[in-house]
Amino acid sequence: MQKAFLVDSSICLGCNTCAMACKNQYHQDNGIAWRKVREIGGETYREDQNNFLPTVTWYAKAPQAQMPEERYYFSLACNHCENPACVEVCPAGAQTKDPITGIVKHDQELCIGCKGCVLACPFGASKYNERLGKSEKCSMCWERQDEGLLPACVQSCPTGSIALIDIHDPAYANAGTTDPLGIDYAIGSSTKPSTRFVHPSLPAKMHRL
Amino acid sequence: MSTHPSPVDALLREGVSRRNFLKGLLASGAVASFPGGALAAEPYVDTKIPFTGKKSYTTFRNACPRNCYDTCSIKTFVKDGVIQFIEGAKESTFTNGGTCVKGNSYVRRVYSPDRIKYPMMQVGGKGSGTWKRISWDEAMDTIAKKLLAIKKEDGHLLGAALTKYSGNFGITHYGVEGMFSSIGYTTRFAGTPCWPAGIDAQNLDMGAMWCNDPEEMKDSKYIILWGANPAANSVHSMKYIFEAKKKGAKVVVIDPVFTEAASKASEWIQVKVGSDGLLALGMAKIIIDANMHDKEWLAKNTKGYKEFKAYLDTINLRDVAETSGLSLELISQIALEFAKADPATIWSGYGLQRHTNGGSMIRAIDALVAITGNIGKYAGGSRYGHLDTWGFNYHAMSMEKPAGSVGYVGGKRMGEFGHGAAGEEKPDYDDRYLNINKTAREILNSDPKVRLLWVACKNTFAQDFDRNLLIEAFKSLEMVVVVDEFFNETTKWADIVLPVTTQFEEYDVNVSYWHYWLSINEQAIKPLHEAKNDLEIAALLSKKLNALEKGSCTFPEYVDTKQWTAKEFNAGIYEKFGISSWEELKNGPVKAKPVIPYADGKFFTPSGKYEFYSETSKEYGWKALPEYVEVRKPYDKFRLTTPHSRFSLHSQFQNLDWMEEFNAEPFVYINTKDATDKRVETGDIVAVFSKVGLLRVKAKVTDNVPSGTVMMYEQWFNNNIYNVNELVDDTSSDMGAFKTGAPGVALHDAYVNFRKI
Repeated sequence: MQKAFLVDSSICLGCNTCAMACKNQYHQDNGIAWRKVREIGGETYREDQNNFLPTVTWYAKAPQAQMPEERYYFSLACNHCENPACVEVCPAGAQTKDPITGIVKHDQELCIGCKGCVLACPFGASKYNERLGKSEKCSMCWERQDEGLLPACVQSCPTGSIALIDIHDPAYANAGTTDPLGIDYAIGSSTKPSTRFVHPSLPAKMHRL
Repeated sequence: MSTHPSPVDALLREGVSRRNFLKGLLASGAVASFPGGALAAEPYVDTKIPFTGKKSYTTFRNACPRNCYDTCSIKTFVKDGVIQFIEGAKESTFTNGGTCVKGNSYVRRVYSPDRIKYPMMQVGGKGSGTWKRISWDEAMDTIAKKLLAIKKEDGHLLGAALTKYSGNFGITHYGVEGMFSSIGYTTRFAGTPCWPAGIDAQNLDMGAMWCNDPEEMKDSKYIILWGANPAANSVHSMKYIFEAKKKGAKVVVIDPVFTEAASKASEWIQVKVGSDGLLALGMAKIIIDANMHDKEWLAKNTKGYKEFKAYLDTINLRDVAETSGLSLELISQIALEFAKADPATIWSGYGLQRHTNGGSMIRAIDALVAITGNIGKYAGGSRYGHLDTWGFNYHAMSMEKPAGSVGYVGGKRMGEFGHGAAGEEKPDYDDRYLNINKTAREILNSDPKVRLLWVACKNTFAQDFDRNLLIEAFKSLEMVVVVDEFFNETTKWADIVLPVTTQFEEYDVNVSYWHYWLSINEQAIKPLHEAKNDLEIAALLSKKLNALEKGSCTFPEYVDTKQWTAKEFNAGIYEKFGISSWEELKNGPVKAKPVIPYADGKFFTPSGKYEFYSETSKEYGWKALPEYVEVRKPYDKFRLTTPHSRFSLHSQFQNLDWMEEFNAEPFVYINTKDATDKRVETGDIVAVFSKVGLLRVKAKVTDNVPSGTVMMYEQWFNNNIYNVNELVDDTSSDMGAFKTGAPGVALHDAYVNFRKI
């Protein structure tokens, strides 16, 4: 099993409910958000406000989509990769991949704050918390899932544009793509990010003055 | 409910930027002037909360009371007396387990270090920023003495004015009005800045403002979102629109702005601002000319169709095309598609009627829906809003005047103050009503003079118009009392501020003006700091007034919000929602029994029919028919449009640090062409100025707004002087006086210019 987020940008309103629902559940410190809603189109999403895109790979390619700014979005958090780089580099065993669900968990008790995961993640999903001197990241609300609840972001999305799927389940084999339109997402990353995307589209007809 | 003091205290002291700020203040010795009162600098406390399992929380039922279509039903998770997190209530199919971005920030709002903690007095005078903490007793003593002095000196209490609006739409909050009734005849700011022109329009046409259940939209075949942007302002409605679209319905957005909703539509039509009414009339004409109108429905259910048809015959479709900026082919296509689809519906947004011709535009759209026979139909309807589920007792506001109260002379002598000439009959008194949308002007011109102003459930400076005149008006007042959760620009011009509770700290009941769900607010936590709810404040004031002068106030001297919430229910509410006791709401929100508005062909107009021709409209000095009225002429280069942001509800929520995380600063959105002309690029600071004020704000260059229009969201940021009402004058919309007592404001007919600085 590899649990994953299916992000459907065709019905994403950019309302940021998912990102705030995550704050509501975890009370992340100011300046740290495990989930962020990024705009597609223009250059703005590349001016990263949260060190979300720390590696050179991110800046290598220009955005592909010509979408009006502030109208098309992707909601992004940890990709819970199939071969997570963070797990590989963590010397303290604080980052682990759950063998059953595929969720990449972070144990703050064990974290020694070496920033290895922050540097290793091609997606900037691990955040370094200066105040705690430790890392942290999206847990896919595994504690909630253990109780039969959906992750806070999924449950809170007003249109169902974030869903929880198992990419190894044949039923989801064709669910979305690994390529988030307009964002160079390190598609070829050897970590094999699990997140799947449905691309947005402009209205069939647009009549401008 | 167990209360464990330490985690609460810890949470209250949180805030790293705050700590540094306070350290700075301590060093400068300026803490006493800080509005929140002297807080000791405390180490940052980790509030990160692991989910500890459903069973470890006590859950409470709550609802968001903040003037929003969605009025979300909330489930609150409390541990050790502290709210840990909230969720949307799953029992409500509308909320469906989620709230919006704003609702998800509630924990931060409740435990914000910026909340007003104690009654405070601005000892250095209004705007000085020099505050002193006072006790509730001292606050009430000061206010009560002022009220009694006004009564003694003036012989009446018309010098005491109340301005209250939509900061909290909970039913028991009408107790604020009750408090003002209980001291005598007073002055009230009447009307609404929000939707009055449209309310009047729908009342003229149908005798009520009553819309179909939004959940029905999933079965609509054709949906026109006309100046409505639910993707930002009613996010839960979008799932029904998407469902309809998935089933093959066409979703058309008519809006000058490429809104979030427009980006998700089947077709977006950019229309010239203020021409929407004419466009609707043109569409109606095309449908009738094509013989696609619902003749049977029209014959049976309407009044004045013949006159309306005769008026449409005078409309030249080429004028419609030119005025709206659309091709005749496009107008015909949309009109005929709309007429053909069954059922089809139009949702008119509130921005549409914030024009000098706004009411007439809503009437034209109503007429378009009516001629296609989509009114009174499942999944059809001309949607604007409804007050169908608001039939509470309003017990909280039903207070009698103290014996011997003197006020405005009622009836035909309205507007003239006095006891009546000798020999005349003893006059019946009334409260004095001033126009809420001209607050500044009304205060300055009032006679008898407004001397004390009480502001509740409202951030006047963020919501009312012509900010610079408002400052003058507030300075002219002898006492301004502001009841709020946060220090803001209105408290800046106050003499006394009183801390008020959030909905998690009191009992209350909430319904929506859009969906048909009913929720209660349970008291989930004890009130923080020294905050009191609006009812308790009224009771305290009553106690003080009566102590100083027996019989001067009829408001009860003790209230319990739970008991007062229970008093709001009646048999009609129970029948409508299919419950036998309000206590059932503790199990979750309930929905009203489904009703299709006007399905029985009964309208609440004088004729009992849908009125294309309205005598009432004529009586108010407007056109009897939904005729085209030209919009306000420009008085400057660029139209300013000030829609609502998805990150705030008027001035609420954007001030929270969590919200700043996702929406850090305000912008002025400028069309690419206009920006090129003015040599402005994204990121430049521009000065936007109008005949009433000036604002400096960062530019974003975008094709989402049309050339000739600049857009600035209506928001209040903490620690940022941005206030869009700096630029908006108080020109009235056409309608509003009929049902809400005062016309609305032509907010989107403000004009500005800008330049790079």
